[in-house]
Amino acid sequence: MSVVELRGVTKRFGPDVLGLDEVDLTVSAGEVVVLLGLSGSGKSTLLRHVDGLHLPTSGSVRVLGVDVVAAGGRELRALRRRVGFVFQQFDLVGSRTVLENVCTGALGRLRGPRLGLATYPRALRREALERLDRVGLADRAFQRADTLSGGQQQRVAVARALMQQPEVLLADEPVASLDPESSAQVMDLLKEISRENKLTVLCSLHQVDLALSWGDRIVGLRSGRTVLDLPTAGLGHDEVMAVYSRVGADASAVLTVA
Amino acid sequence: MLLGLLIAALWAFADLRINVATFVDGAANAARFAARVFPLDFPPLLEILALCGQTLAIVVLATLLSTLLSVPLALFAAANTTTGQVGRLSSRAVIVIARAVPDVVLAIVFVRIFGIGALTGVLAMGLHSVGMIGKMYADAIEQIDDGPATALRAAGATRSQQIAGGVLPPVLPAFVAVGLHRLDINLRVSVILGFVGVQGIGYAIAESLRVLNYQRGIALALVVLGLCVVVELISGAIRTALLGRSTAPKRGPLRRAARPDSELDLDEDVVRDPRLRSAAALIENRLSPPWDAQRIGTTGYAAITAVILVASFLGAGIPYWDAITALPRVFDSIGLFFPPETGGILGSLFEQLLVTIKIALAATLIGVVLSLPIGALAARNVAPSPRVAAVFRGIILIIRGIPELILAIVFVVITGLGEVAGAVALGVGAVGLLGKLVADSLEEIDPGPENALTATGSSRAQVFFAATVPGGAKALVAHVLYLLDTNIRAATLLGIVGAGGIGFYLLNASRVLEFGVVTTILIMIFATVMLVELLAIWVRGRMSAG
Repeated sequence: MSVVELRGVTKRFGPDVLGLDEVDLTVSAGEVVVLLGLSGSGKSTLLRHVDGLHLPTSGSVRVLGVDVVAAGGRELRALRRRVGFVFQQFDLVGSRTVLENVCTGALGRLRGPRLGLATYPRALRREALERLDRVGLADRAFQRADTLSGGQQQRVAVARALMQQPEVLLADEPVASLDPESSAQVMDLLKEISRENKLTVLCSLHQVDLALSWGDRIVGLRSGRTVLDLPTAGLGHDEVMAVYSRVGADASAVLTVA
Repeated sequence: MLLGLLIAALWAFADLRINVATFVDGAANAARFAARVFPLDFPPLLEILALCGQTLAIVVLATLLSTLLSVPLALFAAANTTTGQVGRLSSRAVIVIARAVPDVVLAIVFVRIFGIGALTGVLAMGLHSVGMIGKMYADAIEQIDDGPATALRAAGATRSQQIAGGVLPPVLPAFVAVGLHRLDINLRVSVILGFVGVQGIGYAIAESLRVLNYQRGIALALVVLGLCVVVELISGAIRTALLGRSTAPKRGPLRRAARPDSELDLDEDVVRDPRLRSAAALIENRLSPPWDAQRIGTTGYAAITAVILVASFLGAGIPYWDAITALPRVFDSIGLFFPPETGGILGSLFEQLLVTIKIALAATLIGVVLSLPIGALAARNVAPSPRVAAVFRGIILIIRGIPELILAIVFVVITGLGEVAGAVALGVGAVGLLGKLVADSLEEIDPGPENALTATGSSRAQVFFAATVPGGAKALVAHVLYLLDTNIRAATLLGIVGAGGIGFYLLNASRVLEFGVVTTILIMIFATVMLVELLAIWVRGRMSAG
């Protein structure tokens, strides 16, 4: 049963900008997939299609059995609840406490707007504290989110995503803004929780070696097209670079395992 | 283009015959004025406090009403939170109309409906303030980083959850700051409204002047001045405290680089292992923030604010039940304003509009000429010493505290009824606004170029002209155009005290219930102001390109 299915997805931003060009992608349950590419290659755009944050100009997107293009507001929100998203800039609400930020991950479960820690039920706050402890930051629960370091903020963002009890986890360049030590910490954390919760993961990266060591499968993008789709087992750095540096490469030649 | 404006202003200045002769005559008048005014007659302290209290209550309630109305309007008016073109345009239209109808006119209308009293003032100022607060709230909303709200959307949050959780928290400090700023302005406006029947110190001043009791009138004017300064100082302090806290810059190269983990935890306690610390916190199971100094402080401020609001509700003396039942009549009265009529005096109206524009131009010129040196000397990076800067900041503050109306009255007495009084009054008053803007802009300039020049050994003056001025020039032009805009509106109202211009006809038409004529006048003023705003946009476009 495929969890994510993109067929012929094309995305235009205005007359001149082609974000995605006839992308096909199938991801099965439990897979840990890396979307590899330079900035502007379409990785971020692709990820946002999986969550319905972008709608394709043409083509179809099916996630967890839901037709994203046809889904109405409520259906789409229900789908998003099942898909966690971690962003490159963490995107926490800086002026609120860490614990409140984690609680906001559960907004999909609650009815009505919330502002302030006291507006979340105690049981929910307890759950949020546990998620925070899972990422090792429960002692920072009442600090302002923007007083934390980058790596810590990203871990809070991971805890926030966990609050959704998601089945799919999307990560858009999660460590691009972090120093090497925090990067390793966050990638390890993502790997651990993916295994623990049996999540299907799509993570976009631009670092080839990190992709090779971290993911189970690499899907390479260039100029909105997939140019590579192979398991990482047995794949070498040079092989991957060769695909990218091939001058005048025929973009429709996609390497796949038979 | 700017040259053209300058020429227009000089012509206006000359045309109004603002010259030394007028002032020499005025000196004699001033002496007579002083004789009439002194000794000042202050009412007993309790009465002063009661008047201040009532005035403050009205102003606080008006500003509160305004902010409550503005939040939903702003959410619809801001591009990133609106529901669609229709919503956006209609809410922008409401905001523009609110700004275009002067509070004085609203007050005159409401006096007819609700009678002389506090409710008139609350509604008049409250509704008109939406024009400014709504616009600034919408601007604040449009300026936030949309990342957090998008993250909530990605988690399955509804629109209202996204707004409450991702939009309101970042804009809250700006909202409060704008509200406090408008509070200052409304306090000064309430004095003018006193002349049309809104209770408070303004009303007391109007009554005193009506019976020619200048001693009491000017004494009360001084009380108002003191009140304005005090409120401005307090609100300024609150605003600095609020906006001084971290506001992370938007996405982009300026976004604060995150600190690596290894740099933190300098003052941590004995437990060095973060995992142990986290586990300990989980066991402790604390689910609400600890009662530390910061939480006590924030709660304290919230409590004080609540007390002020409750006191205002009770102290304003508004008959709430009557007010609610009278509300439908507000909508009826709006119908009175249409269709626009000319009342046979269209020629005179245009004539007076021209006078008003002249007053505004001359006032802006005077304001700029006075504000540049004063504002520059008030900026810490330009003034020869911090003390000099503080002194000039103080001068600006005092000038800001004086309601334009009081200044106008004083100048009317000194130079006689007419346009000169209006122009000079606005010009001097402009120092309070433009001087502050100039000083603030100069201080906010990136010190890089200045430091670089100083390092090469340039003198203070050289640094000022080579680095500070170019940096501030663009901001200055924007401020001057804003000042012109403000002066046109202010000049229209000064006609009420005989300081020349179309305001006199506005007041008259309102008094004799010729609301059709009022509408015509408002349209004329609105069109003039719109032209100035379009001019401002065009100039800004030229400056960015050039």
